[in-house]
Amino acid sequence: MNSASASVGRSDFRTLLEGQADTLRLWTQPGHQRTVTLNVTVILFGAGLYGATIGWWRDPWQGFYVAIKFPLVILLTTLGNALLNAMLAPLLGLNIGFRQSFLALLMSFAITTAILGAFSPLLAFLVWNAPAMTPDVKATPTYGFIKLMHVGMIAFAGIAGTVRLFQLLTQLGGSKTVARRVLFAWLAGNLFLGSQLTWIARPFIGAPQLPVVFLRETAFQGNFYENVFRTIGQLLQFD
Amino acid sequence: MNDTNPSGPPIPPQIPPPPPPGHPGGRPLGDAPEEREPIPNAVVAVEAILRQPRRVLYQLRQPGASGLVLGMLFVTVVCSLVYGIVVGTFSGGVQLWAAPVKIAGGLLISALICLPSLYIFACLSGSQARLAEICGLVAGLLTLMTILLIGFAPVAWLFSQSTESVAWMGALHLMFWAIATVFGLRFLNAGFSRTQARSNAGFNTWVVIFVLVVLQMTTALRPIVGTADTLLPEEKKFFVAHWFDALKLPRLSGRD
Repeated sequence: MNSASASVGRSDFRTLLEGQADTLRLWTQPGHQRTVTLNVTVILFGAGLYGATIGWWRDPWQGFYVAIKFPLVILLTTLGNALLNAMLAPLLGLNIGFRQSFLALLMSFAITTAILGAFSPLLAFLVWNAPAMTPDVKATPTYGFIKLMHVGMIAFAGIAGTVRLFQLLTQLGGSKTVARRVLFAWLAGNLFLGSQLTWIARPFIGAPQLPVVFLRETAFQGNFYENVFRTIGQLLQFD
Repeated sequence: MNDTNPSGPPIPPQIPPPPPPGHPGGRPLGDAPEEREPIPNAVVAVEAILRQPRRVLYQLRQPGASGLVLGMLFVTVVCSLVYGIVVGTFSGGVQLWAAPVKIAGGLLISALICLPSLYIFACLSGSQARLAEICGLVAGLLTLMTILLIGFAPVAWLFSQSTESVAWMGALHLMFWAIATVFGLRFLNAGFSRTQARSNAGFNTWVVIFVLVVLQMTTALRPIVGTADTLLPEEKKFFVAHWFDALKLPRLSGRD
């Protein structure tokens, strides 16, 4: 046990990033409680830092709010789907328990947020160089460029975390086909819940004409998918 | 790290694909020692149906399987009541108790209505399954469906708190029910294919009947998601007509 505890120490963060699937598989076994602490800490710091850079352009307070909201969205998505993911894994051929499925996802999110956290100084520098967010800035290329940078970085980090999760699931299940099936089911569930949580937790970047708030008054009115369908409906109305 | 036993990757317990009609196929149920372990209570039944479906299928064939069937039905009732409460939180008020009762009752009544036809189809297909075994397979179907619905419950609750559209919530619950039903039917198919049935045609027909009955039950017991003046409908409707009508419903103005 001592050697196990020692291994979950200073080099853990590096191990997590290296994504050594055989080591990460051991972390999902009982007796590695500290890995939960490590993953949650990485998510809080990584997503918190990145969240701060998202909101900072609008206002420092907006940055502070998003630094709280962004990790919360990730943790709530993991928790909200934990039971479902643990049920889907064995039904799709991967015989892992609740703890293993929960930790596997948590590790994947930790890797994603660690990458995002590492990108946050770059984004902060970009925002620092950008003109102030005034109502007319939305019409400039800067607004679009910053949004595009966020999308690109989140997509890159998300893909990296997903690849690591796939490797871990392959280790746990011993089959790439099963791992792919489980990964797809988990991603679909997380995307579905995560999108709605993100919708509730808006604003993130913030709008110059709206006040800086933690949650909008309309946070629980409507949902992400209704909005998407309505937008598509409006786009399809040619008259 | 070294003190942890790096056991090899676990064997996937996935329900094997059904053998071709007319062939029992696959390894026989109960050939692994863990499949022969009795299922003493409902909690173990839940664990087994998710991770060791072959164990459940084997135990359903053993004498005294009625305890297991009753346990699974108990789990079905509890899980559907819990999911029903989540459904009821959308409208609140009377629906907090009406929706769970309707969902649990509707599911059990649907299964009861469809049970005789499954037994007849099984016999027509040359299956050697007894009625008790067919009852057990249907109980397993309901158990797996409702356990999965519990997994969807947090997501359903979140959406029920953030939308006022009855049509949207109805569609969401239907989607969750459809996913749960697919997994439940996989279990039933795995059991059915091990009853020496020569053909799956009867089973496939029954699946269509079961799905139609459950969908119609949601309309016969409406409202389940939204609200109405009466607890049960005064007008008879086919479920497709009800869905089209639901699309025209106004959004909930308040959560009374």
